[in-house]
Amino acid sequence: MADPMHQFQIQTLVPGPKVPVPGLGVIDLSITNSVAAMLLAATLIVVFYALAAKKAVVPGRLQTIGEMLYGLVDGLAASIIGHDGKKYLPFVFTLFAFVLFMNLQGMFLVFTATSQLAVTLTLGLMVILTVVGVGFAKNGLKFFKLFAPSGVPWPLYFLLVPIEILSFLIRPVTLALRLFGNMLGGHVVLKIFAGFVVALGGLGLLGWAGALVALLSVTALTALEFMVAFLQAFVFAVLTCVYLNDVVHLDSH
Amino acid sequence: MATETHGTVATTEAPGHESGGLPQLQFQHWGGQIVWLLLIFAVLYVVLSKGLLPRVSGAIDERGAKIAGDIADARRLKDEAEVQARAAAAEVAEARAKAQKTAADAKAKATAQAAERQAKEEAVLAEKLAAAEASITTARDEAMSHVRTVAEETAGAIVEKLTGKTASAAELKAALA
Repeated sequence: MADPMHQFQIQTLVPGPKVPVPGLGVIDLSITNSVAAMLLAATLIVVFYALAAKKAVVPGRLQTIGEMLYGLVDGLAASIIGHDGKKYLPFVFTLFAFVLFMNLQGMFLVFTATSQLAVTLTLGLMVILTVVGVGFAKNGLKFFKLFAPSGVPWPLYFLLVPIEILSFLIRPVTLALRLFGNMLGGHVVLKIFAGFVVALGGLGLLGWAGALVALLSVTALTALEFMVAFLQAFVFAVLTCVYLNDVVHLDSH
Repeated sequence: MATETHGTVATTEAPGHESGGLPQLQFQHWGGQIVWLLLIFAVLYVVLSKGLLPRVSGAIDERGAKIAGDIADARRLKDEAEVQARAAAAEVAEARAKAQKTAADAKAKATAQAAERQAKEEAVLAEKLAAAEASITTARDEAMSHVRTVAEETAGAIVEKLTGKTASAAELKAALA
């Protein structure tokens, strides 16, 4: 059976410069399959919205889908962050669209950029650094109130503050691992079941029955993975909104 | 390609993906992915936030405004139509009242004319009746006066026949009175 992990192997497509960075080692700027997937996702988003962003009062199909996705994120930002949500909408939407397109691309092409921990962790860190940046920009040093919820007897702070700090620091990790794990797991399972189809197909009549079961499983799992691809992008956007809301409305925290 | 990646793997990390480790944990590939991701995300963010998303939200807002405007227009037109309908109903009512008045007038006039004509005819008839009555009275009186002369003559004739003598007119008149 083919190695189910092979699909996640980074391969260089167009060799690029290797830049030595002190303290970090060498950064290879080659266009790899992962970079190509990200470039393709971004390009598709731009092309899609270039076609979908029309002024038609009665929208066509593309425009309807484009406005639906926009309306989805708009609704999220408005309902979670509230009135200030509009300001962060482009950031949340870019994240959502980027993750969604990378996830869906993995359903059609051979490589899923969001199954790379480097990618999801960077996205997670980007979210949390944006949250910290917005927090400081909006609240100044009061940002640290985030770690000390009001209305608690002061001795509890010795316990509460470390927990709050830890839970804040762990946010990018959970963001990254959730997306990474879902994509990794889904694609590994798909690959393994698809491998079963081939392996059992060569074992005669009984093998064919097994292969059929495996094939049906792959079909069902593919449907599931499409849902997961959308859902994980959605969850990423929701959590980004929730974390942004924490620092935007720090006073009510 | 593959050989090149394997070459770098050997220097920094676990031997290679065939050994079962996650390919995602080959850290020599992280730097490039992170740099490219940041770059791509930044460009995508700028293109979306400055160029495409305002167009999308503009289209959505425009549609909302158009729908609201159309609804307001429709409501205005409906109000106008209602006012016109009310005016039309008032006009119809007025016309009907006028028509009824005209009809009543005509009827009254006709009634008056009929009464007048009838009265005139009655007067003519009454006149004729009176004239007839008068002529009857005169005829009767005349006849009555004739009756006296006839009686006088008859009485004279009877007296002459019975007595052989003619009675004078005065005697006859006195006898018949």
